[in-house]
Amino acid sequence: MYDLKPIFEPKSVAIIGAAREPGKIGNVIVRNFVDSGFTGEIYPVNPNATEVDGLKCYKSVLAIPKKVDSAVIAIPARLVPQALEECGRKGVRGVVVISGGFAEVGNYELEAQLATIAKKYGMAVVGPNCLGVVNPSAKVDSIFLPTYKMGRPKVGGVAFIMQSGAVGSTILDLIAREGFGISKFVSYGNAAVVDETDLLEYLAKDKQTRIIILYIEGVKRGKEFFKATKKLAKIKPIVAIKAGTTEVGASAAKSHTGSLAGNYAAYHALFRQNRVIEARTLDEVFDFAKIFETQPHCTGKRVAIITNGGGMGVLTTDAVIENGMELAEFTEETRAKVKETMPLTVNARNPLDLTGDADASRYEAALNLAYGDPTVDAIIVITLFQTVSLDSRVVDVVVKAAGKGEKPLITIALGGEYTEMQRRALESSGVPSYASPSAAAKSLAKLIEYSRFTAKAKKR
Amino acid sequence: MAADFSREGMTKLLGKYGIRVAEEGIARSPKEAAAFARKFGYPVVLKIVSDEIIHKSDAGCVKTNIVNEHDLLSAYAVIMRNAGKARVQGMLVQKMARKGLELIVGGKKDPQFGPLILFGIGGIFVEVFRDVSLRVCPITKADALEMMDEIKGAPLLKGVRGTVPVDREKLAQLLVSVSKMLYENQGICELDLNPVIAYADGYLTVDVRVIRCATEVAQLSPKAI
Repeated sequence: MYDLKPIFEPKSVAIIGAAREPGKIGNVIVRNFVDSGFTGEIYPVNPNATEVDGLKCYKSVLAIPKKVDSAVIAIPARLVPQALEECGRKGVRGVVVISGGFAEVGNYELEAQLATIAKKYGMAVVGPNCLGVVNPSAKVDSIFLPTYKMGRPKVGGVAFIMQSGAVGSTILDLIAREGFGISKFVSYGNAAVVDETDLLEYLAKDKQTRIIILYIEGVKRGKEFFKATKKLAKIKPIVAIKAGTTEVGASAAKSHTGSLAGNYAAYHALFRQNRVIEARTLDEVFDFAKIFETQPHCTGKRVAIITNGGGMGVLTTDAVIENGMELAEFTEETRAKVKETMPLTVNARNPLDLTGDADASRYEAALNLAYGDPTVDAIIVITLFQTVSLDSRVVDVVVKAAGKGEKPLITIALGGEYTEMQRRALESSGVPSYASPSAAAKSLAKLIEYSRFTAKAKKR
Repeated sequence: MAADFSREGMTKLLGKYGIRVAEEGIARSPKEAAAFARKFGYPVVLKIVSDEIIHKSDAGCVKTNIVNEHDLLSAYAVIMRNAGKARVQGMLVQKMARKGLELIVGGKKDPQFGPLILFGIGGIFVEVFRDVSLRVCPITKADALEMMDEIKGAPLLKGVRGTVPVDREKLAQLLVSVSKMLYENQGICELDLNPVIAYADGYLTVDVRVIRCATEVAQLSPKAI
């Protein structure tokens, strides 16, 4: 078991392959460390340079006079073993090998050398052929994509473990835009040394991480992965997306079971068995991540729907029922209060249709009733911003209500630019907002399912 | 040690794990077949034992619901005639199972996760409906019960439109036992118990198919894991 702390929280970092020319990978990495405000020491390493971006450059990692916690290697593949060996001799504890040109192109032997060197020095090595790590709270950013081309998310509670660098960077860019935050991000590439199971173990213990997102094409150590997910899914929600779910080519199975239990079926079974929350699309990854990051656990499945449009209330009712939840009945008291305080056009039933002229204050009254009603376990608020009376004031009301944190509250807002602006405002204040009733209901159902599982696991 | 995965060897192995298989014997002659039938009691099923005939029903090499010795002898002759020039190892005589709910319990060695266990609606349309649930071995009883609840046909297990509910406890025990067997016998590559006929008071495994791993690579013994 390798110590991953130096990878994610180094006090000093050597960038092997640091380059002077802007636009080169070795230059972007140095720049990103400087620009992100990394407070530790940055040591560019390049035998042909004396200075990179105003920082003193060293001929090799061994020439650095002080202690080096971690290193990022971005040099041609054939030169990597020697650089890694030098890192080991220097006492570097964690290395990210960005360079490609290993097992992914058939150079298995070269990759095996990395594993041997890592083992010899007990040094954690992430990669090769990867983007490396981002830890916004420690200002660590080894990604070779410039910040003006790819946004970086703020600090939050979601950790990302990504096998693919391309999917990983796209997701980071989207998260940055969506406005929710991450605790750690790692793209681990070929997993020559550190693999998804090691990363899961580390992030399950990481205090900043509330939820772990896992993108995998295939795992390195199946049995260990099985054991780790079984243990860790009880501690933190793990949302996984498995790429390569379709079977290419005819199966060579000779039995019924053989043909029914393909490679993806095995992953699907493992996810179900160990309560790993499976996302089938990248959209679902985001949908699930935001509800798990921000909303409290909830074992009840009675939902209150508050809306300013009848039709959207019906569609949401369908989605709620289809996903195995129920509509809350409302107490006599709640119904009496609705009749007493709301216009005659508002029926005292669930979905609670506040009608097209509802404003922020009517939403506020309805939210207070839903929070106070013991028959309500979770709340879905539909805000159709196209009406005259709905504006950013309703966002404040919803954010304030969700802040109580007693019951999960999610919102649905569909529409054009104006709606999109309000939706972002909700999201950046920690209220998940969905663009469709089915995405909202499915995400809530996943939260309830997982809450029930952990509640049961605690009782045992 | 190479495991014995012949029909008899497999029946013995299943027996070791307390898994009930329909009473059966392999006869080498019509006389022997009649003797088995008398021992098990009629009705019985005759089925050819031959490596060269894969789809036995299609080849006219299976006769069901044989009620007496006269019918048995004539069925034996018909099957042998239908087998033509194929190499025949013998004739399987099996006590005919009562009607019940046809299920499948299966196993497959996954290269990453080791043995998987499968449960679902069985019979000849199993690959059409694909109504199955899967777990990584070994499983617990709670996992087994969940596997039963997970399939679309779950209401069939609980009894619909006048049919009686099947014995969930015994089926759960069956799944746990098969999982244990798969886990402890890693030379099994694929396994079909299909159909397993479920009743209100138990179940009966009617047909067993097993495929041995092509290369029995040095497996970790389950105890070492």
